[in-house]
Amino acid sequence: MDDFRERAALSRRAFGSLALWAMIAAAAPLAAQTSGEPVYIGVSGPVTGPHAQYGAQWKQGFDLALEKINADGGIDGRPLDYIFEDSQNDPRQTIAIAQKFIADQKIAVEVGDFSSTSSMAASPLYQRGRLVQFGFTNSHPDFTKTGDYMWSNNVPQSEEQPLVARHVVEDLGMKKIALLYLNSDWGKTSKDLFAEAATGLGAEIVAEEAYLGDEKDFRATLVRAREAAPDGFVLVSYYNDAALIVRQIRDLGIDLPIYAAGANSPEFVSLAGEAGNGVHTVMNFAPMSPRPVVQDFVAAFEAEYGTAPSHFSAMAYDTFNLLAAAMRQYGTGREDIKDGLGKISGLESVIFPEVAFDPGTRRISSPAVTELVVQDGGYLPYSGPGQ
Amino acid sequence: MSDAILTATGITRRFGGITAVDGVDLHVAEGEFLSVIGPNGAGKTTLFNLISGQDRMDGGKVTLEGRDITNLSPHKMAEIGVARTFQHGRVFGNLTVMDNVLIGCHVRLKAARSRVPVIGPVLELGKALIQPRAVREEEEAMREEARAIIATFGERLAPRIDNPTYSLSYANRRRVEIARALALHPRILILDEPTAGMNESETAEMQEIIAGLKASGRTILLIEHKLNMVMQLSDRVMAMDDGKVISHGTPTEVRNDPKVIEAYLGHSSIGGARPAARDSAEPQEIITVGPAQGRIGRTGGAEA
Amino acid sequence: MESLSSLMAMPWLDYSISGLVIGSIYALMAVGLALIFGVANLINFAHGAVFTVGAYIGWTCLVGIGLPLGVTIVVVAAVSGAAGALIEWLAIRPLNRQSRIAPLLATIGVALVLDQIIHIVFSPTPRALSANIPDWRLQIGNGTIGAIDITIALTAILSAAALYAFLFRTKLGMAVRATAQDDDAAKQMGVNINAVNMTVFGIAGALGGIAGLLVGLYYNSIDPNASFQMMLKGMVAIVIGGMANVPGAIGGGLILGLIESWGIGLFGASYRNLFAFVVLLVMLLFRPNGIFSRGKERPAEPMTGTFVTQTKAVTLPKPLIWVLIGIAVILPMANMPYITQVMTNAYLYGLAALALTLVSGTVGLVSIGHAALVAIGAYASALLTTKGLPVSLGIVIGGAAAALLGTALAYPAFRLRGHYVAIGTLALGEIVSLVILNWEGVTNGALGVFAIPPLEIFGFPLYGTKASYWFVLALMLLMAGLQVRLLKSHLGRTWKAIREDTVAAETYGVASNYYKGLAFGFAGFTAGIAGAVTAHQWSFINYDSFNLLFSVLILTMAILGGLGNVSGAILGAILVAALPEMFRTLAEYRMLFYGAALIILIRFRPQGLLGSG
Ligand SMILES: Nc1ncnc2c1ncn2[C@@H]1O[C@H](COP(=O)(O)OP(=O)(O)O)[C@@H](O)[C@H]1O
Ligand SMILES: [Mg+2]
Repeated sequence: MDDFRERAALSRRAFGSLALWAMIAAAAPLAAQTSGEPVYIGVSGPVTGPHAQYGAQWKQGFDLALEKINADGGIDGRPLDYIFEDSQNDPRQTIAIAQKFIADQKIAVEVGDFSSTSSMAASPLYQRGRLVQFGFTNSHPDFTKTGDYMWSNNVPQSEEQPLVARHVVEDLGMKKIALLYLNSDWGKTSKDLFAEAATGLGAEIVAEEAYLGDEKDFRATLVRAREAAPDGFVLVSYYNDAALIVRQIRDLGIDLPIYAAGANSPEFVSLAGEAGNGVHTVMNFAPMSPRPVVQDFVAAFEAEYGTAPSHFSAMAYDTFNLLAAAMRQYGTGREDIKDGLGKISGLESVIFPEVAFDPGTRRISSPAVTELVVQDGGYLPYSGPGQ
Repeated sequence: MSDAILTATGITRRFGGITAVDGVDLHVAEGEFLSVIGPNGAGKTTLFNLISGQDRMDGGKVTLEGRDITNLSPHKMAEIGVARTFQHGRVFGNLTVMDNVLIGCHVRLKAARSRVPVIGPVLELGKALIQPRAVREEEEAMREEARAIIATFGERLAPRIDNPTYSLSYANRRRVEIARALALHPRILILDEPTAGMNESETAEMQEIIAGLKASGRTILLIEHKLNMVMQLSDRVMAMDDGKVISHGTPTEVRNDPKVIEAYLGHSSIGGARPAARDSAEPQEIITVGPAQGRIGRTGGAEA
Repeated sequence: MESLSSLMAMPWLDYSISGLVIGSIYALMAVGLALIFGVANLINFAHGAVFTVGAYIGWTCLVGIGLPLGVTIVVVAAVSGAAGALIEWLAIRPLNRQSRIAPLLATIGVALVLDQIIHIVFSPTPRALSANIPDWRLQIGNGTIGAIDITIALTAILSAAALYAFLFRTKLGMAVRATAQDDDAAKQMGVNINAVNMTVFGIAGALGGIAGLLVGLYYNSIDPNASFQMMLKGMVAIVIGGMANVPGAIGGGLILGLIESWGIGLFGASYRNLFAFVVLLVMLLFRPNGIFSRGKERPAEPMTGTFVTQTKAVTLPKPLIWVLIGIAVILPMANMPYITQVMTNAYLYGLAALALTLVSGTVGLVSIGHAALVAIGAYASALLTTKGLPVSLGIVIGGAAAALLGTALAYPAFRLRGHYVAIGTLALGEIVSLVILNWEGVTNGALGVFAIPPLEIFGFPLYGTKASYWFVLALMLLMAGLQVRLLKSHLGRTWKAIREDTVAAETYGVASNYYKGLAFGFAGFTAGIAGAVTAHQWSFINYDSFNLLFSVLILTMAILGGLGNVSGAILGAILVAALPEMFRTLAEYRMLFYGAALIILIRFRPQGLLGSG
């Protein structure tokens, strides 16, 4: 199963482009539905450099979304398209790209960048240039605070972490929690919010260990955490760190329940291998959700790329659909989009059963999470203790 | 002895097992010319390194005009007027002849440098940026003087005054070194084998220049292998072997001292051969010792 | 008393085991680096990339094709060995007679190219790497040891034995050792230095590749972005073990692993790299020959005075400079905000490069920690202005803070030379960045500083792209002008004299530490205002805004333009900032071309485009 996935990944590129050709050919008769000058979304994100993996996942989501949107007639008959500028997730480049997009009247709305460092460096420019900066991966609590042109559908941790804490403390029964977190803006914010909520529910954080993003070996940290005699581990980690930590927890012979934020990515499952079994996580995006929107997306994604969609691909897919909906409903002018985003409501997306922005914070309100357990190379919905 | 301006007593320096300099006493009077001879490895260079501050001694004491200058750092030695050249030549390759000599003037810069504590560095930067008149005039005066010093080497250096010294011939680089030392206005001038690696006519020329320096009343310490030159120039000669002074007196006395003859015979040669060209990666090299036997040999000059 | 007993109660055995595990990985990296340093006097920055190549070749064999592990190891050794040899042949050998800095930069270029090739061929996503090794585990202390651990240890020991046999039992091995001792003597004895170098790069490559495979197996994960970090740890290990000392490198790796692990036990994982780099600095300052050498003295530093090639700098004719400045001034009139912004970035890079070219080129202290100065300036201004200080004042204070703090931090490194300065400053840069990350009370830690007020001069805001362009241009020209004036004064020749021969300069009364301090002070000011202006332009900075990559980039600019050359630094900055923009249409091939362009530039103009000043 794992091997199959790996081999598929090797040829993913070749496969992807083949599929694209096939698709273009198949879509030819439909393409007549859209005509005229395309409406452009400007994407600023990493195509090269150390974060290129995320840009690659974005593209998969974007392409799939465009296919669907344009098959449905685009934006009032005009095709939707995007221009992806490689920023390498480097703030020096995101600000140059911002200038490019702001000056380019073709661009209706901007999406990205990846990290808060690079996105927020460009925010003042977008704000002054009156172009919406839609940061779908930006969890930094201050991201949308630069001004009313900054929007994000990234789940606010202030809403998600209390849900996670309830799951961990009440469902999984952890009372003395060892907390490992990535020392980044996302990790730090999430950790603080989680700890606050968990202590509120009567649990105790007995160990709190920050680690750096390029860490590979967690044994010493885990020995330290184990010394605090926890009854469970909570990992505020990305999937690759989460996989490393989970494997090393099990290698050390520690047999405690684990909750891991990054375990919700399919890559986690293959990286963690056997050790991943029984790891708990929550997902905003639940691939096994019975909602047709989700099922269509997962099926289309697997058909096209041969792998299960990652969280980032799902976010990317959602973002384009959301923007398309706003443009269809409120127009493709830059101001139209800004105003439209505030008014959108009742839209169903892959991640959110219902999308609506809080016009004050310009973030999504009341997200839902699905609780999952990793099992045998896949996920099972969490179904009560003793599992 | 009472008129000695420089006195060294009991100077000792050990390197691991060997004692390179072993309880050497030395003194020079104002205007005197003292030569130190001895076979290769006798400890002459090490002795001079200790006196001029490039190396730290394990025992002994050095005074200059009664002031204790034992183990002073090299730049403080320069400040009080001790100038030396290096056995293997150490010019600043990427600097012009003029700039090399101007470095020799460094300790005499009054207007450009600043000795005020704390804000001194800011003042020195500030003055370098603003270039007030005093600084400009001082610089011009130093340049004038440097040109004069360079001119004492006749047509050898003057036409190349703005060339980087890496482009000069070996002999010319030795001349630049001496010019740089003179620019310091030294109380004591220490020359370590100034003619090493020079041919006969170059040696004769150098000897003439050194004789000129002596005639102008300078106090000079010389290490040299070419005995003819030592005999002609020196007021006094000191012979060393195995880190110790084995003979001491007038040139004739020392030359005829059987101990000296034996020391030289005991060793295969009187040395002073031009060092072979090799990279500077000597295993034993440390900062405090003249580096790079052959830093100079490596970049052959383009001119005669 | 109580704290002592709690110290005693810590599970030191478990920490030590985990330290040895990670330490043996560092050791694997370090062996190759030490071999190469021994014969080529070069820190091979591409070694990490070869490590990654090994990991991915291993993946292709094990997972892609399904070969058994034994065969895979052989294939990995062969391919990554060939990659190592190729690096020597293509990038190092042509630069043989150049200043030592040129090959260093070439290895950085090679690392870029190799990493990009991996990205393009295998996609940048980390992937699982598992071999069919039986899954039993043995309880030791509180931990376990499995078949995989034993396989890894065995492979590592066998590789070390093979290396030993090669070095001590074969003729070529003897030539390698002779060359490491004294390459000139070896040459005179008829040793073919080129063959030796190529062999050593090949062997180091093979070892690095095997290390990549083993580490991948160990963690069941390979990641194209891990290489640089690994290479850094290997470098710390060889400093601990004594640069060219191969057994020392193994010991150094293990010791580094132990120190890190114990440090984590005491203070937590966020400090892991802080320990590594503090250890590095302490070693450099107090035991520069490594802890296994008896002598206290620093070894002959082959690079003193030769970091800067002996060349005459190209002096741009005055009229041309004025024309170029004129073009720069009217550029925004073209109304291309994107170009304007790219050039503003280039000038900010230019400011930083000016500062670096002064300390690294003019004074000869090659720094790979330059980002620290920029970060200090940025943080000082950002933190003060968010608390209400006027921006123009903040920028000046940012410059002053970088000047003072930077000089104070670098002061202990002033007695280092050549490569050691480069490594020491790299460590300093990382330390500053980690302190910023961990010192939450002052710097806001990982969250960074947000809502930094925009640029203004004396109350006049510089919102527009053009206004900030002109401001930055003026700042850069002003600082460049000041630097030129300094270089023309007595300071210029004094600095260069220190670079050429510190001992001789000291002998002529130059207090070298004081003048190094002056250079660092002035450069720190320039770099600090570059950082401050950047912070106000971005409105948000964090500990990662000015990282190691940034330091390397600035060094690239200074070397490309010609170390010590003021107009060269600016030209280098413009090229390095603009080249990737020109390659933008190449999408994922962009950095590949950039790396290749870098290698070619160094190959044909190692002294820099405008020559060293
Ligand atoms: N830095 C050093 N380390 C070890 N030994 C040294 C060092 N410098 C000089 N020596 C040794 O000290 C002795 C005296 O050397 P030196 O003063 O150079 O002799 P001379 O100048 O008379 O030829 C020699 O045996 C030499 O090898
Ligand atoms: Mg000597």
